[in-house]
Amino acid sequence: MKYFLVDGTPACFYTAVFEAYRERECIITSERDVQIGLGAQICEVAADGGKAERVEKKLSALDKGSLREIELILRSCDPLKENAAFNYIKLIVESGGPVRTMAAHPSVIEALAIVDRVTREIDRLKGFLRFMENSDGVLYAPYSPDNDLTDILARHFARRFPSQKFVIHDLKRKKAALFDCNEIVIAEVGDAEIYLSEYEKYFENLWRRYYRSINVESRPHERQMRGYMPVRYWKYLPEKRQ
Amino acid sequence: MVDEYRLKILTEGAKYDVSCSSSGSSRKNDGRGLGFASSGGVCHSFTPDGRCISLLKILMSNECLYDCEYCPNRRSADVERAFMTPDEICELTINFYKRNYIEGLFLSSAVFSSPDATMELLTETVIKLRKLYNFHGYIHLKGIPGADDALIMRAAGYVDRMSFNIELPSEKSLKLLAPQKSKTGLILPMKKLALAREENKERGAKRGRIIPAGQTTQMIIGASPESDGQILRLTQSLYRKMNLKRVYYSSYVPVVESPLLPSEGAGLLREHRLYQADWLLRFYGFDVEEICGEGENLASDVDPKCAWAMKNMHLFPVEINEAPTEMLLRVPGIGARGAQRITDARRHAKLDFDNLAKMHIVLKRARHFITCKGKFYGSGSVAAVRAALALETRAETAKQLSMFSESTVALSALTGEI
Repeated sequence: MKYFLVDGTPACFYTAVFEAYRERECIITSERDVQIGLGAQICEVAADGGKAERVEKKLSALDKGSLREIELILRSCDPLKENAAFNYIKLIVESGGPVRTMAAHPSVIEALAIVDRVTREIDRLKGFLRFMENSDGVLYAPYSPDNDLTDILARHFARRFPSQKFVIHDLKRKKAALFDCNEIVIAEVGDAEIYLSEYEKYFENLWRRYYRSINVESRPHERQMRGYMPVRYWKYLPEKRQ
Repeated sequence: MVDEYRLKILTEGAKYDVSCSSSGSSRKNDGRGLGFASSGGVCHSFTPDGRCISLLKILMSNECLYDCEYCPNRRSADVERAFMTPDEICELTINFYKRNYIEGLFLSSAVFSSPDATMELLTETVIKLRKLYNFHGYIHLKGIPGADDALIMRAAGYVDRMSFNIELPSEKSLKLLAPQKSKTGLILPMKKLALAREENKERGAKRGRIIPAGQTTQMIIGASPESDGQILRLTQSLYRKMNLKRVYYSSYVPVVESPLLPSEGAGLLREHRLYQADWLLRFYGFDVEEICGEGENLASDVDPKCAWAMKNMHLFPVEINEAPTEMLLRVPGIGARGAQRITDARRHAKLDFDNLAKMHIVLKRARHFITCKGKFYGSGSVAAVRAALALETRAETAKQLSMFSESTVALSALTGEI
């Protein structure tokens, strides 16, 4: 068995696909603490623009929509994501076209399940992300998502607030998207010190009051609330802070 | 700026309106303003009652001219009254929206001086929000029955959705419980809006000019004697004739002691069954005649699709690899997404029972009504199917009912408008 170790970037992944395609049995992974069996061959992959581009071109010709799906899969926190994407690509190439309607094929089930999970988190965070206003009028949203979504969310909010500066900060991956009303810049950011605007507490309190008042206390259904809004997201929600 | 005290009163006065959806509109941003509407809708939070918060749902005022029996804000009720100015509403909306607390505004009001004056101030608020505050997010505006048509039409040009609540499922009940409201006062503006939307579309005007997300309505179930069959007939005609996007049902819970109102609530199971039937009308190609007789109520032990299937066992089982989509949609347990996945997948390979399970098709109910490659996995006779399904539903209902009953006790303090 051959292991292709990749660095987590799309370019490196597509290079690995190029290298691994002819292997009979192999695994592509970006996990560093992967369990490797006896007699395994390890191959550290370095991104190669030319090779990656050839794979992407081929995929694009066979099924344009798959590139977007692969992009989402690679953002996942699933330890087997590269392999799921690889198997999906192999099936597309073998079939010579889109395969996403083969809803009973294991490679399709596996790949699309990851796409679904990432998409679900994007949809959730479009709602659950919370901004606070700092003293310069810049909005700041800290969060720690399961999957790597910061630039996707930044694009969503840049469309929504075209004339509002904001920062979306992934504390888990120590990276942030900064929007200056013109373009989005992704930067490595560890800790951030925030000076809140004088109105911030006031609106936060109004929101907490609203949250308490809109609830119909006599009709409790906490289980459903937790199902729709898992507890791991509560940390950054002012309405759920004690 | 608004204070917590008034926000609390005006929120509590609005919270029994069921509608929370922010979907159906794709209002764009002009590149300078604040926000846009996302056609799928976005949920921003969930409250401990399991409902989602999408819009800032508030009343402009809870001071009401009317004295509807079932309403906590009725004129004769002894409750605290409050009012929020258009600017206060706009500022609150903008500041909540910027922090991504909400997807937009759902503005409603009690009728405080006259229907026209109320509608005028509501309209002024949404126009201000759009023009002065440059807000492009979602706005759902409640229409005031009896207000001048011109005012209602004017507002419709600025908001994404409008709704007039039918309140009660028949004219007779409306006369009895909400004597100051009339059926025509409610239906007429809905008709006019539906017509205006139609013309808007025909003229080829860009989608989004007049209430792009359409109209909805809401009625209270169980405060008056109408059967489920009558209610669903009304619902179907609202969908077909007025092109409504949604009809919301709220199970009545006694809050006011009144000789005109029943002393017991309708229960949430009835509300649940009505919603299931509503879905069958909108997404599954059913006609109300197939689901429920005019004077009848829906079965409580099984869901309406199951009930229909068991009455029509001669149509089943259907072969999963051959049945047309319309028929797959009628199999209990198979939903719209499931039916789509099956028709997609079977073009590539014949499906067996295992495949369906792996595709996350729920087979608990479906197995009694399908064959896979000719093989049948269900119970053979109607009686056996009924027994198997009843067992499963009993377990489910028991769970649900216990959840309801703890709430029903405390619910006595509230209205039925959930």
